[in-house]
Amino acid sequence: MIKKRSLSTLPWWLLFTVIIGLLLSWNIVSDQNYTQIFNTLSKGLWTTISVTLIAFMLATLVGLVVALAGFSRFSLIRQVATFYVEIIRGIPVLVILFYIAFVGAPEMVNFYNWALQDLIEHNIISAARTRDFSMLWRAIFALSISYSAFLAEVFRAGIQEIDKGQIEAGKALGLNGWLRFRFIIFPQAIKKILPPLGNDFVAMIKDSALVSVLGVQDITQMGKVYSASTFQFFETYNVVAFMYLVLTLSLSLIIRGLERYLRRNEKH
Amino acid sequence: MNLSTFFSAAVISATALFTTQSSANDVTLPDLNGQVIVAVTENAYTPLNFIDPKTGNGIGWEYDAFNEIAHRLNAKVDWQLSSWDSMIQAVKQGQFDVGMDGITINDERKKEIDFSMPYMVSQQFMLVREDEGRFEEHTGFANNSDLLIGAQPGTTNFYVAVYNVLDGDENNSRIQLFETFGASVQALKSGDVDMVLMDASSAKGYMGANPGIFKIIGEPLGTEEFGFILTPGSKLTDAINAAIVSMKEDGTLEALNQKWFFDYQH
Repeated sequence: MIKKRSLSTLPWWLLFTVIIGLLLSWNIVSDQNYTQIFNTLSKGLWTTISVTLIAFMLATLVGLVVALAGFSRFSLIRQVATFYVEIIRGIPVLVILFYIAFVGAPEMVNFYNWALQDLIEHNIISAARTRDFSMLWRAIFALSISYSAFLAEVFRAGIQEIDKGQIEAGKALGLNGWLRFRFIIFPQAIKKILPPLGNDFVAMIKDSALVSVLGVQDITQMGKVYSASTFQFFETYNVVAFMYLVLTLSLSLIIRGLERYLRRNEKH
Repeated sequence: MNLSTFFSAAVISATALFTTQSSANDVTLPDLNGQVIVAVTENAYTPLNFIDPKTGNGIGWEYDAFNEIAHRLNAKVDWQLSSWDSMIQAVKQGQFDVGMDGITINDERKKEIDFSMPYMVSQQFMLVREDEGRFEEHTGFANNSDLLIGAQPGTTNFYVAVYNVLDGDENNSRIQLFETFGASVQALKSGDVDMVLMDASSAKGYMGANPGIFKIIGEPLGTEEFGFILTPGSKLTDAINAAIVSMKEDGTLEALNQKWFFDYQH
Protein backbone atom coordinates (compact mmCIF):
# COMPACT_ATOMS: atom_id res chain seq x y z
CA MET A 1 0.00 0.00 0.00
CA ILE A 2 1.37 3.38 -0.94
CA LYS A 3 0.82 6.02 1.68
CA LYS A 4 0.55 9.61 0.61
CA ARG A 5 2.80 11.76 2.68
CA SER A 6 1.29 15.04 3.70
CA LEU A 7 3.41 17.96 4.88
CA SER A 8 2.44 17.35 8.48
CA THR A 9 3.85 13.82 8.54
CA LEU A 10 7.18 14.79 6.99
CA PRO A 11 9.93 14.21 9.55
CA TRP A 12 10.66 17.89 9.98
CA TRP A 13 12.83 17.31 13.01
CA LEU A 14 15.13 15.16 10.91
CA LEU A 15 15.29 17.74 8.14
CA PHE A 16 16.20 20.50 10.60
CA THR A 17 18.74 18.28 12.31
CA VAL A 18 20.43 17.51 9.02
CA ILE A 19 20.53 21.20 8.08
CA ILE A 20 22.06 22.19 11.42
CA GLY A 21 24.54 19.32 11.10
CA LEU A 22 25.55 20.42 7.60
CA LEU A 23 26.00 24.03 8.70
CA LEU A 24 28.20 22.99 11.61
CA SER A 25 30.14 20.59 9.40
CA TRP A 26 30.71 23.38 6.92
CA ASN A 27 31.92 25.55 9.77
CA ILE A 28 34.39 22.87 10.83
CA VAL A 29 35.72 22.47 7.29
CA SER A 30 35.95 26.14 6.38
CA ASP A 31 36.96 27.84 9.64
CA GLN A 32 40.56 27.04 10.54
CA ASN A 33 39.88 27.57 14.21
CA TYR A 34 37.02 25.07 14.24
CA THR A 35 39.08 22.62 12.18
CA GLN A 36 41.76 22.64 14.83
CA ILE A 37 39.27 22.17 17.66
CA PHE A 38 37.63 19.31 15.77
CA ASN A 39 40.96 17.59 15.10
CA THR A 40 41.97 17.77 18.74
CA LEU A 41 38.60 16.60 20.02
CA SER A 42 38.50 13.71 17.54
CA LYS A 43 41.16 12.03 19.65
CA GLY A 44 38.54 11.72 22.38
CA LEU A 45 35.85 10.46 20.03
CA TRP A 46 37.10 6.89 19.93
CA THR A 47 37.43 6.81 23.72
CA THR A 48 33.83 7.98 24.14
CA ILE A 49 32.59 5.38 21.65
CA SER A 50 34.54 2.47 23.08
CA VAL A 51 33.79 3.35 26.72
CA THR A 52 30.07 3.54 25.92
CA LEU A 53 30.02 0.38 23.80
CA ILE A 54 31.89 -1.82 26.28
CA ALA A 55 30.01 -0.39 29.27
CA PHE A 56 26.68 -0.87 27.55
CA MET A 57 27.41 -4.49 26.69
CA LEU A 58 28.48 -5.21 30.26
CA ALA A 59 25.44 -3.36 31.62
CA THR A 60 23.13 -5.38 29.35
CA LEU A 61 24.68 -8.61 30.59
CA VAL A 62 24.48 -7.71 34.27
CA GLY A 63 21.04 -6.17 33.81
CA LEU A 64 19.69 -9.32 32.19
CA VAL A 65 21.10 -11.51 34.94
CA VAL A 66 19.62 -9.26 37.62
CA ALA A 67 16.24 -9.18 35.87
CA LEU A 68 16.16 -12.98 35.59
CA ALA A 69 17.22 -13.24 39.22
CA GLY A 70 14.15 -11.14 40.01
CA PHE A 71 12.01 -13.94 38.63
CA SER A 72 13.83 -16.65 40.55
CA ARG A 73 11.79 -19.12 42.50
CA PHE A 74 14.06 -18.55 45.53
CA SER A 75 12.94 -15.62 47.62
CA LEU A 76 16.50 -14.76 48.73
CA ILE A 77 17.71 -14.31 45.14
CA ARG A 78 14.69 -12.17 44.32
CA GLN A 79 15.35 -9.99 47.38
CA VAL A 80 19.01 -9.54 46.48
CA ALA A 81 18.11 -8.57 42.91
CA THR A 82 15.60 -5.96 44.07
CA PHE A 83 18.07 -4.62 46.63
CA TYR A 84 20.71 -4.21 43.93
CA VAL A 85 18.35 -2.38 41.58
CA GLU A 86 17.00 -0.02 44.23
CA ILE A 87 20.39 0.87 45.66
CA ILE A 88 22.25 1.36 42.39
CA ARG A 89 19.39 3.18 40.67
CA GLY A 90 19.22 5.66 43.53
CA ILE A 91 22.85 6.78 43.44
CA PRO A 92 24.04 9.33 40.86
CA VAL A 93 26.38 8.00 38.18
CA LEU A 94 29.01 10.55 39.20
CA VAL A 95 29.03 9.27 42.77
CA ILE A 96 29.26 5.64 41.67
CA LEU A 97 32.16 6.67 39.46
CA PHE A 98 34.07 8.03 42.45
CA TYR A 99 33.14 5.01 44.58
CA ILE A 100 34.43 2.53 42.02
CA ALA A 101 37.54 4.54 41.20
CA PHE A 102 38.70 5.32 44.73
CA VAL A 103 37.07 2.77 47.00
CA GLY A 104 36.14 -0.21 44.83
CA ALA A 105 39.25 -0.49 42.70
CA PRO A 106 41.82 -0.25 45.54
CA GLU A 107 39.78 -2.75 47.56
CA MET A 108 39.73 -5.14 44.63
CA VAL A 109 43.50 -4.84 44.29
CA ASN A 110 43.90 -5.43 48.04
CA PHE A 111 41.60 -8.43 47.86
CA TYR A 112 43.55 -9.85 44.92
CA ASN A 113 46.82 -9.47 46.81
CA TRP A 114 45.32 -10.95 49.96
CA ALA A 115 43.74 -13.91 48.16
CA LEU A 116 46.93 -14.76 46.31
CA GLN A 117 49.43 -13.88 49.02
CA ASP A 118 50.97 -17.34 49.10
CA LEU A 119 51.68 -17.32 45.39
CA ILE A 120 53.01 -13.75 45.64
CA GLU A 121 55.37 -14.65 48.47
CA HIS A 122 56.81 -17.47 46.42
CA ASN A 123 57.28 -15.16 43.45
CA ILE A 124 55.00 -17.27 41.29
CA ILE A 125 52.93 -14.22 40.40
CA SER A 126 53.64 -10.60 41.17
CA ALA A 127 51.55 -8.46 43.48
CA ALA A 128 49.03 -6.16 41.82
CA ARG A 129 49.44 -2.42 42.25
CA THR A 130 46.54 0.02 42.22
CA ARG A 131 48.01 1.67 39.18
CA ASP A 132 47.64 -1.51 37.13
CA PHE A 133 43.89 -0.95 37.27
CA SER A 134 43.54 1.88 34.79
CA MET A 135 41.15 4.79 35.24
CA LEU A 136 39.61 3.89 31.88
CA TRP A 137 38.48 0.47 33.14
CA ARG A 138 37.31 1.88 36.47
CA ALA A 139 35.16 4.31 34.47
CA ILE A 140 33.79 1.52 32.30
CA PHE A 141 32.90 -0.61 35.34
CA ALA A 142 31.21 2.29 37.08
CA LEU A 143 29.10 3.13 34.03
CA SER A 144 28.18 -0.55 33.59
CA ILE A 145 27.08 -0.91 37.18
CA SER A 146 25.09 2.34 37.12
CA TYR A 147 23.20 1.40 33.99
CA SER A 148 22.75 -2.29 34.79
CA ALA A 149 20.09 -1.34 37.35
CA PHE A 150 18.10 0.63 34.78
CA LEU A 151 18.46 -2.07 32.17
CA ALA A 152 17.37 -4.72 34.68
CA GLU A 153 14.11 -2.80 35.09
CA VAL A 154 13.71 -2.55 31.32
CA PHE A 155 14.15 -6.32 30.98
CA ARG A 156 11.83 -7.02 33.92
CA ALA A 157 9.06 -4.89 32.40
CA GLY A 158 9.51 -6.55 29.01
CA ILE A 159 9.41 -10.06 30.41
CA GLN A 160 6.44 -9.33 32.68
CA GLU A 161 4.41 -8.17 29.69
CA ILE A 162 4.39 -11.70 28.29
CA ASP A 163 1.08 -13.39 28.87
CA LYS A 164 1.22 -16.10 31.53
CA GLY A 165 -0.75 -18.39 29.24
CA GLN A 166 2.11 -18.45 26.76
CA ILE A 167 4.51 -19.71 29.38
CA GLU A 168 2.06 -22.36 30.46
CA ALA A 169 1.62 -23.36 26.83
CA GLY A 170 5.40 -23.70 26.63
CA LYS A 171 5.39 -25.88 29.71
CA ALA A 172 2.62 -27.99 28.20
CA LEU A 173 4.78 -28.51 25.13
CA GLY A 174 7.49 -29.86 27.44
CA LEU A 175 9.93 -26.98 26.91
CA ASN A 176 12.37 -26.45 29.77
CA GLY A 177 13.14 -23.04 31.32
CA TRP A 178 15.88 -22.09 28.89
CA LEU A 179 13.95 -23.14 25.81
CA ARG A 180 10.86 -21.28 27.00
CA PHE A 181 13.01 -18.16 27.43
CA ARG A 182 14.73 -18.63 24.08
CA PHE A 183 11.65 -19.35 21.91
CA ILE A 184 8.65 -17.86 23.68
CA ILE A 185 9.62 -15.11 26.08
CA PHE A 186 12.64 -13.52 24.40
CA PRO A 187 11.25 -13.02 20.85
CA GLN A 188 8.19 -11.26 22.26
CA ALA A 189 9.98 -9.33 24.97
CA ILE A 190 12.63 -7.93 22.65
CA LYS A 191 10.03 -5.81 20.86
CA LYS A 192 8.94 -4.25 24.13
CA ILE A 193 12.49 -3.91 25.35
CA LEU A 194 14.13 -2.35 22.34
CA PRO A 195 12.75 1.22 22.57
CA PRO A 196 13.62 1.79 26.24
CA LEU A 197 16.93 -0.03 25.72
CA GLY A 198 17.81 2.35 22.90
CA ASN A 199 16.77 5.25 25.08
CA ASP A 200 19.19 4.16 27.79
CA PHE A 201 21.97 3.71 25.24
CA VAL A 202 21.54 7.31 24.10
CA ALA A 203 21.49 8.44 27.73
CA MET A 204 24.67 6.49 28.36
CA ILE A 205 26.53 8.17 25.50
CA LYS A 206 25.81 11.46 27.20
CA ASP A 207 26.57 10.22 30.70
CA SER A 208 29.89 8.86 29.49
CA ALA A 209 30.99 12.51 29.60
CA LEU A 210 31.17 12.05 33.38
CA VAL A 211 34.23 9.80 33.01
CA SER A 212 36.16 13.00 32.34
CA VAL A 213 36.24 13.58 36.12
CA LEU A 214 38.68 10.66 36.29
CA GLY A 215 40.79 12.22 33.55
CA VAL A 216 39.77 9.68 30.92
CA GLN A 217 40.51 11.40 27.63
CA ASP A 218 37.03 11.35 26.14
CA ILE A 219 35.40 14.11 24.08
CA THR A 220 34.46 16.14 27.15
CA GLN A 221 37.89 15.91 28.76
CA MET A 222 39.57 16.86 25.47
CA GLY A 223 37.19 19.83 25.25
CA LYS A 224 37.98 20.85 28.82
CA VAL A 225 41.69 20.66 28.13
CA TYR A 226 41.53 22.38 24.76
CA SER A 227 39.45 25.29 26.01
CA ALA A 228 41.76 25.71 28.98
CA SER A 229 44.78 26.15 26.76
CA THR A 230 43.17 28.33 24.10
CA PHE A 231 40.65 30.20 26.28
CA GLN A 232 37.99 29.56 23.61
CA PHE A 233 35.20 28.04 25.62
CA PHE A 234 32.27 28.92 23.39
CA GLU A 235 33.81 27.55 20.20
CA THR A 236 35.13 24.40 21.86
CA TYR A 237 31.85 23.46 23.49
CA ASN A 238 30.03 24.04 20.17
CA VAL A 239 32.16 21.28 18.71
CA VAL A 240 31.74 19.08 21.81
CA ALA A 241 27.95 19.38 21.50
CA PHE A 242 28.12 18.71 17.78
CA MET A 243 30.08 15.49 18.26
CA TYR A 244 27.69 14.14 20.90
CA LEU A 245 24.72 15.05 18.70
CA VAL A 246 26.15 13.18 15.73
CA LEU A 247 26.61 10.12 17.96
CA THR A 248 23.21 10.22 19.65
CA LEU A 249 21.16 11.14 16.58
CA SER A 250 22.69 8.49 14.37
CA LEU A 251 22.08 5.95 17.12
CA SER A 252 18.45 7.10 17.41
CA LEU A 253 18.01 6.58 13.69
CA ILE A 254 19.49 3.09 13.83
CA ILE A 255 17.18 2.13 16.68
CA ARG A 256 14.11 3.51 14.87
CA GLY A 257 15.08 1.47 11.84
CA LEU A 258 15.47 -1.64 13.96
CA GLU A 259 12.08 -1.13 15.58
CA ARG A 260 10.46 -0.71 12.18
CA TYR A 261 12.15 -3.89 10.98
CA LEU A 262 10.86 -5.87 13.97
CA ARG A 263 7.36 -4.52 13.54
CA ARG A 264 7.34 -5.43 9.84
CA ASN A 265 8.43 -8.98 10.68
CA GLU A 266 5.56 -9.26 13.09
CA LYS A 267 2.99 -8.90 10.31
CA HIS A 268 4.25 -11.95 8.37
CA MET B 1 48.67 48.19 36.90
CA ASN B 2 49.96 47.10 33.52
CA LEU B 3 50.74 43.55 32.56
CA SER B 4 54.49 43.65 32.73
CA THR B 5 54.57 45.07 36.25
CA PHE B 6 52.15 42.56 37.60
CA PHE B 7 54.12 39.77 36.02
CA SER B 8 57.30 41.09 37.52
CA ALA B 9 55.62 41.14 40.92
CA ALA B 10 54.72 37.48 40.58
CA VAL B 11 58.08 36.33 39.37
CA ILE B 12 60.14 38.46 41.73
CA SER B 13 58.37 36.89 44.65
CA ALA B 14 59.18 33.46 43.22
CA THR B 15 62.83 34.43 43.03
CA ALA B 16 62.81 35.75 46.57
CA LEU B 17 61.37 32.52 47.87
CA PHE B 18 64.08 30.40 46.36
CA THR B 19 66.83 32.76 47.39
CA THR B 20 65.83 32.48 51.02
CA GLN B 21 65.51 28.72 50.89
CA SER B 22 68.58 27.71 48.96
CA SER B 23 71.57 27.13 51.13
CA ALA B 24 75.12 26.37 50.17
CA ASN B 25 74.26 23.07 48.57
CA ASP B 26 76.94 21.39 46.54
CA VAL B 27 76.03 17.83 47.45
CA THR B 28 75.87 15.65 44.36
CA LEU B 29 72.35 14.67 43.39
CA PRO B 30 70.98 11.17 44.06
CA ASP B 31 71.19 8.70 41.18
CA LEU B 32 67.91 6.84 40.58
CA ASN B 33 69.50 4.41 38.09
CA GLY B 34 67.01 4.88 35.30
CA GLN B 35 63.94 4.36 37.52
CA VAL B 36 60.64 5.18 35.83
CA ILE B 37 58.66 7.88 37.62
CA VAL B 38 54.94 7.90 36.77
CA ALA B 39 53.98 11.57 36.68
CA VAL B 40 50.51 12.98 36.22
CA THR B 41 48.98 16.28 35.25
CA GLU B 42 45.78 17.43 33.57
CA ASN B 43 46.85 19.74 30.72
CA ALA B 44 44.28 22.32 31.70
CA TYR B 45 46.40 24.95 33.48
CA THR B 46 48.12 27.27 31.04
CA PRO B 47 51.06 27.83 31.09
CA LEU B 48 52.02 25.24 33.71
CA ASN B 49 50.52 22.33 31.80
CA PHE B 50 48.42 22.55 28.66
CA ILE B 51 48.16 21.13 25.19
CA ASP B 52 49.90 22.85 22.37
CA PRO B 53 46.95 23.58 20.02
CA LYS B 54 49.24 23.06 17.04
CA THR B 55 50.54 19.60 17.91
CA GLY B 56 48.10 18.31 20.52
CA ASN B 57 51.02 17.44 22.83
CA GLY B 58 51.20 18.40 26.48
CA ILE B 59 53.67 21.22 27.13
CA GLY B 60 54.34 23.87 29.77
CA TRP B 61 56.41 24.98 32.74
CA GLU B 62 55.77 21.87 34.82
CA TYR B 63 56.57 19.50 31.95
CA ASP B 64 59.91 21.20 31.35
CA ALA B 65 60.70 21.43 35.04
CA PHE B 66 59.90 17.83 35.87
CA ASN B 67 61.61 16.40 32.80
CA GLU B 68 64.72 18.32 33.88
CA ILE B 69 64.40 17.02 37.45
CA ALA B 70 64.20 13.45 36.15
CA HIS B 71 67.14 14.06 33.84
CA ARG B 72 69.28 15.27 36.75
CA LEU B 73 68.30 12.29 38.88
CA ASN B 74 68.92 9.79 36.06
CA ALA B 75 65.26 8.77 35.95
CA LYS B 76 62.71 8.43 33.19
CA VAL B 77 59.26 10.04 33.26
CA ASP B 78 56.13 8.19 32.25
CA TRP B 79 53.63 11.02 31.71
CA GLN B 80 49.99 10.25 32.48
CA LEU B 81 46.82 12.31 32.51
CA SER B 82 44.18 12.67 35.15
CA SER B 83 41.67 15.33 36.03
CA TRP B 84 42.08 17.84 38.81
CA ASP B 85 39.11 16.32 40.70
CA SER B 86 40.81 13.00 41.15
CA MET B 87 44.51 13.81 41.13
CA ILE B 88 45.26 14.06 44.85
CA GLN B 89 43.29 10.90 45.62
CA ALA B 90 44.95 8.98 42.79
CA VAL B 91 48.47 9.96 43.88
CA LYS B 92 47.60 9.11 47.46
CA GLN B 93 46.65 5.60 46.39
CA GLY B 94 49.82 5.14 44.38
CA GLN B 95 48.16 5.27 40.98
CA PHE B 96 50.86 7.80 40.11
CA ASP B 97 54.20 8.59 41.79
CA VAL B 98 54.03 12.34 41.48
CA GLY B 99 51.36 14.84 40.48
CA MET B 100 51.48 18.48 39.47
CA ASP B 101 48.79 20.96 38.51
CA GLY B 102 49.70 24.20 40.25
CA ILE B 103 48.77 22.52 43.53
CA THR B 104 48.95 24.85 46.51
CA ILE B 105 50.78 23.49 49.53
CA ASN B 106 48.50 23.57 52.56
CA ASP B 107 48.03 21.68 55.81
CA GLU B 108 44.76 20.08 54.80
CA ARG B 109 46.38 18.45 51.81
CA LYS B 110 49.52 17.55 53.77
CA LYS B 111 47.36 15.15 55.77
CA GLU B 112 46.54 13.30 52.56
CA ILE B 113 49.74 13.38 50.53
CA ASP B 114 53.38 14.46 50.70
CA PHE B 115 54.59 17.66 49.09
CA SER B 116 57.91 18.53 47.54
CA MET B 117 59.43 21.85 48.50
CA PRO B 118 57.72 24.75 46.69
CA TYR B 119 58.75 25.32 43.08
CA MET B 120 56.71 28.43 42.40
CA VAL B 121 54.82 31.18 44.13
CA SER B 122 51.47 32.18 42.79
CA GLN B 123 49.50 35.29 43.51
CA GLN B 124 45.91 36.03 42.65
CA PHE B 125 44.78 39.08 40.75
CA MET B 126 41.34 40.61 40.32
CA LEU B 127 39.96 40.19 36.82
CA VAL B 128 36.96 42.43 36.07
CA ARG B 129 35.07 43.69 33.04
CA GLU B 130 36.78 46.46 31.09
CA ASP B 131 34.10 49.04 32.02
CA GLU B 132 34.13 48.25 35.77
CA GLY B 133 34.19 51.48 37.79
CA ARG B 134 32.47 50.59 41.06
CA PHE B 135 35.60 49.43 42.88
CA GLU B 136 39.34 49.69 42.43
CA GLU B 137 40.76 47.29 44.98
CA HIS B 138 39.55 44.34 47.05
CA THR B 139 38.30 46.39 50.03
CA GLY B 140 36.07 48.41 47.72
CA PHE B 141 34.73 45.14 46.37
CA ALA B 142 34.16 43.72 49.85
CA ASN B 143 32.28 46.81 51.05
CA ASN B 144 29.66 46.73 48.31
CA SER B 145 27.36 43.84 49.14
CA ASP B 146 25.80 43.85 45.66
CA LEU B 147 29.00 42.64 44.07
CA LEU B 148 29.49 38.94 43.42
CA ILE B 149 32.61 36.87 42.88
CA GLY B 150 32.95 33.69 40.79
CA ALA B 151 35.12 30.80 42.01
CA GLN B 152 35.63 27.04 41.85
CA PRO B 153 35.07 25.23 45.15
CA GLY B 154 38.23 23.88 46.78
CA THR B 155 40.71 25.79 44.66
CA THR B 156 43.09 28.60 45.50
CA ASN B 157 40.87 31.27 43.97
CA PHE B 158 38.02 30.12 46.20
CA TYR B 159 40.05 30.29 49.43
CA VAL B 160 41.59 33.65 48.57
CA ALA B 161 38.08 34.95 47.81
CA VAL B 162 36.84 33.74 51.20
CA TYR B 163 39.77 34.67 53.43
CA ASN B 164 41.51 37.57 51.70
CA VAL B 165 38.63 39.40 50.08
CA LEU B 166 35.43 38.52 51.95
CA ASP B 167 34.74 37.78 55.62
CA GLY B 168 36.12 34.26 56.03
CA ASP B 169 32.72 32.58 55.70
CA GLU B 170 33.01 29.73 53.21
CA ASN B 171 29.24 29.80 52.74
CA ASN B 172 29.13 33.49 51.92
CA SER B 173 26.36 33.96 49.37
CA ARG B 174 28.43 36.50 47.48
CA ILE B 175 30.53 33.66 46.09
CA GLN B 176 29.03 32.01 43.05
CA LEU B 177 30.50 28.57 42.54
CA PHE B 178 31.38 27.19 39.13
CA GLU B 179 32.61 23.79 38.06
CA THR B 180 35.41 25.04 35.84
CA PHE B 181 37.53 28.12 35.59
CA GLY B 182 36.22 28.92 32.12
CA ALA B 183 32.65 28.92 33.39
CA SER B 184 33.40 31.59 35.98
CA VAL B 185 35.04 33.73 33.30
CA GLN B 186 31.99 33.31 31.07
CA ALA B 187 29.84 34.38 34.03
CA LEU B 188 32.03 37.45 34.49
CA LYS B 189 31.65 38.29 30.82
CA SER B 190 27.87 38.01 30.92
CA GLY B 191 27.52 40.01 34.15
CA ASP B 192 26.48 37.17 36.46
CA VAL B 193 29.46 37.91 38.67
CA ASP B 194 31.59 41.03 38.98
CA MET B 195 35.06 39.69 39.68
CA VAL B 196 37.11 36.52 39.29
CA LEU B 197 40.42 35.89 41.00
CA MET B 198 43.16 34.27 38.99
CA ASP B 199 46.89 33.99 38.70
CA ALA B 200 48.80 36.25 36.39
CA SER B 201 49.29 33.82 33.54
CA SER B 202 45.63 32.84 33.31
CA ALA B 203 44.61 36.48 33.42
CA LYS B 204 46.99 37.20 30.57
CA GLY B 205 45.48 34.35 28.57
CA TYR B 206 41.88 35.46 29.04
CA MET B 207 42.65 39.09 28.26
CA GLY B 208 44.53 38.07 25.13
CA ALA B 209 41.71 35.81 23.92
CA ASN B 210 39.03 38.45 24.64
CA PRO B 211 40.50 41.82 23.64
CA GLY B 212 38.76 44.81 25.21
CA ILE B 213 36.56 42.70 27.51
CA PHE B 214 38.57 42.29 30.72
CA LYS B 215 41.12 44.16 32.79
CA ILE B 216 43.19 43.56 35.92
CA ILE B 217 42.81 45.89 38.92
CA GLY B 218 44.18 46.15 42.46
CA GLU B 219 47.18 44.64 44.17
CA PRO B 220 48.12 40.94 44.15
CA LEU B 221 46.34 38.89 46.83
CA GLY B 222 46.94 35.66 48.68
CA THR B 223 50.46 34.43 48.08
CA GLU B 224 50.41 30.66 47.55
CA GLU B 225 53.21 28.16 47.08
CA PHE B 226 52.93 25.38 44.52
CA GLY B 227 54.47 21.98 45.19
CA PHE B 228 54.65 18.58 43.53
CA ILE B 229 52.46 16.02 45.29
CA LEU B 230 53.81 12.57 46.11
CA THR B 231 52.46 9.31 47.47
CA PRO B 232 52.72 9.40 51.30
CA GLY B 233 56.13 8.17 52.47
CA SER B 234 57.52 8.36 48.94
CA LYS B 235 61.24 7.75 48.60
CA LEU B 236 61.34 10.26 45.76
CA THR B 237 60.65 13.35 47.85
CA ASP B 238 64.23 14.02 48.99
CA ALA B 239 65.68 13.41 45.54
CA ILE B 240 63.17 15.75 43.89
CA ASN B 241 63.82 18.43 46.51
CA ALA B 242 67.55 18.19 45.89
CA ALA B 243 66.97 18.59 42.16
CA ILE B 244 64.72 21.63 42.73
CA VAL B 245 67.42 23.26 44.84
CA SER B 246 70.05 22.66 42.17
CA MET B 247 67.76 24.04 39.45
CA LYS B 248 67.13 27.12 41.53
CA GLU B 249 70.81 27.69 42.07
CA ASP B 250 71.87 27.45 38.46
CA GLY B 251 69.01 29.64 37.20
CA THR B 252 67.06 26.89 35.41
CA LEU B 253 63.78 27.77 37.13
CA GLU B 254 64.31 31.44 36.36
CA ALA B 255 64.80 30.56 32.69
CA LEU B 256 61.58 28.54 32.74
CA ASN B 257 59.69 31.52 34.17
CA GLN B 258 61.04 33.65 31.38
CA LYS B 259 60.16 31.04 28.75
CA TRP B 260 56.57 30.33 29.81
CA PHE B 261 55.40 33.52 31.52
CA PHE B 262 56.95 36.12 29.23
CA ASP B 263 58.13 34.70 25.92
CA TYR B 264 55.51 32.06 25.09
CA GLN B 265 52.93 33.21 22.57
CA HIS B 266 49.59 31.43 22.26
